[in-house]
Amino acid sequence: MSTFTIIIVVLAIGLVGAFFGYRQGKVLTASENGVRPHSRPVYHASYVASLAVIPALLLLAVWLIASPIFIASDVRASFPEGVLAQSQLTEDLAYGIVESLGTGLQVLPDDERETITETTPVKDISALLRERGVPIASASADWMVPLALQLNGMQFWSRLAMTVAVIALSVFGAFWGYRQIAMRLRSRNKVEGIIKGALIVASSIAILTTVGIVFSMLFETIDFFSRISPVDFFFGTVWEPRFSNVGSSGNAGSFGFIPLLAGTLYIGAVAMLIAVPIGLFAAIYMAEYASRRTRSVVKPLLEVLAGIPTIVYGFFALVTVGPFLRDLSAQINGLVTGDYASFIQAQSVLTAGLVMAIMLIPFVSSLSDDIITSVPGSLRDGSLGLGATRSETIKRVILPAALPGIVSALLLTASRAIGETMIVVLAAGVAANLTIDPLEPMTTITVKIVAQLTGDLEFNSPQTLVAFALGMTLFVITLALNVYALYIVRKYKEQYE
Amino acid sequence: MMENLQASFNKGPSVDSSKPIKMKTKDVTVHYGQKQALNGITLNIPENQVTALIGPSGCGKSTYLRCLNRMNDTIDSAKVAGEILLDGEDVYDPDIDVVELRARVGMVFQKPNPFPKSIYDNVAYGPKIHGLAHSKQELDEVVHTSLRRAGLYKEVHDRLDEPGTGLSGGQQQRLCIARAIAVSPEVILMDEPCSALDPIATATVEELIDELRENYTIVIVTHSMQQAARVSQLTAMFHLGDLAEVGPTEKMFSNPGDKRTQDYITGRFG
Repeated sequence: MSTFTIIIVVLAIGLVGAFFGYRQGKVLTASENGVRPHSRPVYHASYVASLAVIPALLLLAVWLIASPIFIASDVRASFPEGVLAQSQLTEDLAYGIVESLGTGLQVLPDDERETITETTPVKDISALLRERGVPIASASADWMVPLALQLNGMQFWSRLAMTVAVIALSVFGAFWGYRQIAMRLRSRNKVEGIIKGALIVASSIAILTTVGIVFSMLFETIDFFSRISPVDFFFGTVWEPRFSNVGSSGNAGSFGFIPLLAGTLYIGAVAMLIAVPIGLFAAIYMAEYASRRTRSVVKPLLEVLAGIPTIVYGFFALVTVGPFLRDLSAQINGLVTGDYASFIQAQSVLTAGLVMAIMLIPFVSSLSDDIITSVPGSLRDGSLGLGATRSETIKRVILPAALPGIVSALLLTASRAIGETMIVVLAAGVAANLTIDPLEPMTTITVKIVAQLTGDLEFNSPQTLVAFALGMTLFVITLALNVYALYIVRKYKEQYE
Repeated sequence: MMENLQASFNKGPSVDSSKPIKMKTKDVTVHYGQKQALNGITLNIPENQVTALIGPSGCGKSTYLRCLNRMNDTIDSAKVAGEILLDGEDVYDPDIDVVELRARVGMVFQKPNPFPKSIYDNVAYGPKIHGLAHSKQELDEVVHTSLRRAGLYKEVHDRLDEPGTGLSGGQQQRLCIARAIAVSPEVILMDEPCSALDPIATATVEELIDELRENYTIVIVTHSMQQAARVSQLTAMFHLGDLAEVGPTEKMFSNPGDKRTQDYITGRFG
């Protein structure tokens, strides 16, 4: 039975169990002598269904994960000595061929499959399979045939055992739950526990995924640092990995991280410098001054900006803002010195910062607006009642009260600015310069991650692995920012509550 | 009538008819959008007296109070009509400075609302924004005097730099009163100032209100009949947006003239 069918069957058993549980619950409710059962029928039904479905599906999941591992180790144990003596890679490759032979054999019609025995040469099988459109690697060998057959046999029995075990467990669970139904069975509380468990599982998945992502980067990062010294990476001021010769070890190029970090922080800082005041002022206007009608129009409009894909901002930078700044600088230069040469390049830190700021404004204003509006109205009244003007109230009461929230909103915005890629590629270019002139191109960590991973380099060369080191560093930076934001929020909350 | 007045004089605090009128309101109506909340209130508020506004919930007494220093301006949908005079000056005159008006007519709210600042900064807030103190010493003086008048100084004098939000409910409310006093208002409006306080804190605040009467004109909204009887000299009974009755507190509670007042103070509704 296929996995899907098994799941359907288990769910069906759960449904039937629920039906009987409900009926039994009804019987209890209707029973005489005026005693009310502890739980309503619907809880008995959910309880029976949960007992039928949850353990069975858990067993199914564990089995599906565990059985290939056991089968593989069993099959590999019977590999010839010669193969086992070679590298892990060769062994993996051989197992891959055995697996595809096994899958291929299942595709064959029954009469053809019966002709194949443990002694059939692999060439014949390959020919047969090729007719069916299943290619088999040329590295196949005759000793693999019996193993493929063994593999198929084990898989067959494993699946059969799994089907029986899962369905039996499901039926048993349903029956057991049904038998428990009684006046005093607290299925209402038990269902509560099951719901809590489900919620915990959901949140653990989110956390475990994060951990998984970190680990997937961690190993590659360690691999990278085993080839390039961390000191060269973190303190190097030259980023030239492309110029190194792949394969010629000893000269892997320079992986100086400083120019990228500087570019990231510089562009982010320019963006924040523009976006924060504008966004904050917009938020203050919307929260404190705008009438309800204005607010209902302006706020969605601002939030539309937040929905624009960043690549579109990139176009805007590339075709509009960049050339505009370049031409503007040419005009200014011409008017001042008579020499119409532009001093702002079309791709520059300024362009990227400016366009990124436009992207961040709705982010800042929307978050801050929510925070400012959540400051209790009583504080506003208190200040106005003392004869303060609106702006005095905002400056001296509202903003201080909203400060922790606003700071954390700004730090969140900063993490976005640091993680932004598309705008930077199009607006500031990909040249890893180390400069303090905002009118020159620079680039950021994320841009270089993309550049290193999309090149046609070997996957295990430092040129590619550096992307993971960069990703890991970026992760740590944004994590630190977020943790700091949480810390600030907590500190001020204690003070003001 | 004369006898009643005479009787109340003998019993203690009462309306002193010699006191001039501080605020005059005539035909004040308020609309919230389509809904009319006040149907023409005409009421005089005597100087250096405590005027209590009583009545069941939703009768318009808080709305009326908020008209007196134009706090209703902050509510978009509120429309105020009629005449409200402070020392003969129309407070709804377009030329009047609302900010200055609110400095003259201060307000204490139902729920204590200290700012998230230190105790000192809470009280110093008003004087600072109005430029009432020209030096640190003057400001200290104002803050200390206000706290003393609000009866809070003894309890907090050694921790003025601690957050005002860390005080107990009753202390917070007295801090809010100190904050209102610090800008030297002429009138203090109190919107159920004790409704969030326990009986002991309430008693302290009530005593304070009685003392403040000497220097300030006070208008207080209250749900508690006993409180109105204890602290006020003049009582105005509101009912469904109308002014049902107004008179000296003693008379209102001993011999109400209006059926609605009678029902309310004897607990038949409200």
